[in-house]
Amino acid sequence: MINFGFTINKPRTIDLNRNNLNKSNEVIREMPELQTCIGCGSCTASCTAGNLTDFNFRKVHTLVRRGEYQGAYEEMNKCMLCGKCRLVCPRGINTRGVVMLIKRKLGDF
Amino acid sequence: MTFFADFCIPFIVGEIILFTAIAIKYIMWLKGLPKSDKKLILKGAFSPRFFTATWEVIRESLLHHRIFKVNPLLGYMHMSLAFGWFLLISVGWIETIAYLGLKMIPLHGHVFFKYFIPLNEITAHKPMFDFVMDFLLLFVLSGVTLAWIKRMRSRAMGMKKTTQHISFDRIALTALWFVFPVRLLCESVTSAIYGGGSFLTGGIGTLLAAGINTEILHAIYEPLWWLYSCALGIFFVAMPFSRYMHIFTEIPLIFLRHFHLRPEAKEKSYDNFEVEACSRCGICIDPCQLQMQLGINDVQSVYFLRDRRKNRLQQKIANNCLMCGRCEQICPVGINLNTLRLNSRTSMRNIPNESRYKYLKNLDRSSGEGRVGYFAGCMTLLTPNTLSAMQRIFDAAREDVWWADKNGGVCCGRPLKLSGESDSAQKMIDYNKSLFYKHNITILVTSCPICLRIFNEEYKLDGIEVLHHSEYILRLIEQGRLHVNYSTEHTFTYHDPCELGRGSGIYNEPRAVIEAIGTLLEPSHSRKNALCCGSSLANTAINDSQQLTIARNVAEDLDNTGAETIVTACPLCKKAIARGATHQVKDLSEIVAANIL
Repeated sequence: MINFGFTINKPRTIDLNRNNLNKSNEVIREMPELQTCIGCGSCTASCTAGNLTDFNFRKVHTLVRRGEYQGAYEEMNKCMLCGKCRLVCPRGINTRGVVMLIKRKLGDF
Repeated sequence: MTFFADFCIPFIVGEIILFTAIAIKYIMWLKGLPKSDKKLILKGAFSPRFFTATWEVIRESLLHHRIFKVNPLLGYMHMSLAFGWFLLISVGWIETIAYLGLKMIPLHGHVFFKYFIPLNEITAHKPMFDFVMDFLLLFVLSGVTLAWIKRMRSRAMGMKKTTQHISFDRIALTALWFVFPVRLLCESVTSAIYGGGSFLTGGIGTLLAAGINTEILHAIYEPLWWLYSCALGIFFVAMPFSRYMHIFTEIPLIFLRHFHLRPEAKEKSYDNFEVEACSRCGICIDPCQLQMQLGINDVQSVYFLRDRRKNRLQQKIANNCLMCGRCEQICPVGINLNTLRLNSRTSMRNIPNESRYKYLKNLDRSSGEGRVGYFAGCMTLLTPNTLSAMQRIFDAAREDVWWADKNGGVCCGRPLKLSGESDSAQKMIDYNKSLFYKHNITILVTSCPICLRIFNEEYKLDGIEVLHHSEYILRLIEQGRLHVNYSTEHTFTYHDPCELGRGSGIYNEPRAVIEAIGTLLEPSHSRKNALCCGSSLANTAINDSQQLTIARNVAEDLDNTGAETIVTACPLCKKAIARGATHQVKDLSEIVAANIL
């Protein structure tokens, strides 16, 4: 291939029509308050695990809700469940419950 | 004398099923015990602990001393049923021996003695027994009456809510309710026909003989004994499968507990003794804040144990508990409710052999140098005022401090453990432990009771003394290394955090520190009876508004003392209470730091 000095990235569009939203719907059904998330990122900013690694709770649960499950379980397993995110969340979302729910839905138990 | 009549059959069938079922249960449970537990039993059985256990069996299983302390009326009810029935059986036994001498008599021979040997013969022989037996029957009947009242109007017995029973319990309960009134009728009719009996059965007997035709009395005589035998038989069959199994489980439990057997982080056979020793008395329901404030009625310890016993425990029940320990503290059987709930959660959620938390390897963000280590904990990092107050206190006392996690650290592992992921929690425990040893600290101070609890219970930190900051600050004041300003104008009230108070038994130290600064006003719920702030990490089921409802209630209790400042010693409680309080909420370290001389 000729090197033009630039490349074209693979499109990063999330196609909700193509993604399997079954698990995502289950998560939303069991934890409807997750839909009130405004994506402010306070959870990620205060995160103990996020301080030590590139774990990003906001990113993971957003991707899960859009049906992008790949790697989400492994990422979620970095969480230490310390609960700071729940205290800072301006919408009062039960974030620890969300972590446990996503792990339960995407993991094997 | 043959001691057999047709009506004995339901009783005999019942007793066979009862004793077979209990024998099978005992054998299975004891067989399932791990070797270490079996060794403890052997060691304990031949030690003085055997006698202290026997004394406790008399005090608790018969006299129900602990229920008396909670509620005297309930105590009397349980005592009259247990101790009264026990005396009826044993005095009845003595009566047969006194009448017939030491002979092998089948169990139903003792129970239906008055059918086989008519009353007037007994009365003529030993009149004293009739009086005692009548008196004891009256004693038990008074308990049955109270039990009826409790079912119909629990408030009259000092209980806001009583247990909602399942069908098997209802069958056993109804049978038990019938046993004693029917016995009264049987013996009264017997006395009406044959004479004899004392003030109760004899008195009713005389009335019956005067008011009812002898033919009718003869006609109902046999059916009444059938009814009595059936009530006993049904109760015996239902017993091992209903809540009444507690009668035969609490006794071995008390012995095993005295032999130092305890439930652990993972489920084991010993748990069966604890689970089935629950009598579903429902005393744990009223103190539960989920019930009091939120009206959640199906998650309390009594229901949790019932579901676990029936193998139908659901995560939403197991997870919906603050683990504040208010029920454990009041449980008359002394069941380790929190440990059992935790090991249930572990069975449901734990995933062993996983490669989680690899990122902990070679991580060290600690700073400073010193023999005293300070572990802020995640929650303290979220309440920076506490952290800076601790810094000022350390500076004032000229203490060299090693800061374990000031720049971000690893969680203590208790939140994971509370969620049932105990193998993952072990990874944090191992990490933090090696970090503490690497930096050669001799004292570890933490301002978070959640961390404190797991440091004390799971870390096994040999050579390192673990202190809560309240203990540490008090020590500094007592040693004269820290001087604080005392003023009567400052008024404080103190909220006992669950993990610090009931969890770690630290009640006096924070109070002593507060009293060194100002006046302490106690709220209506304090010490062992303190309320939970509602934000407990143990509960992942309730939502934010429910947490807030609980927090507001707690804050109201504290505000009502009129103190100018609400003090607590847990960063999580501080955050929670501050949401509902009208007065300012401070951590203990903050009020100390503000009053350093």
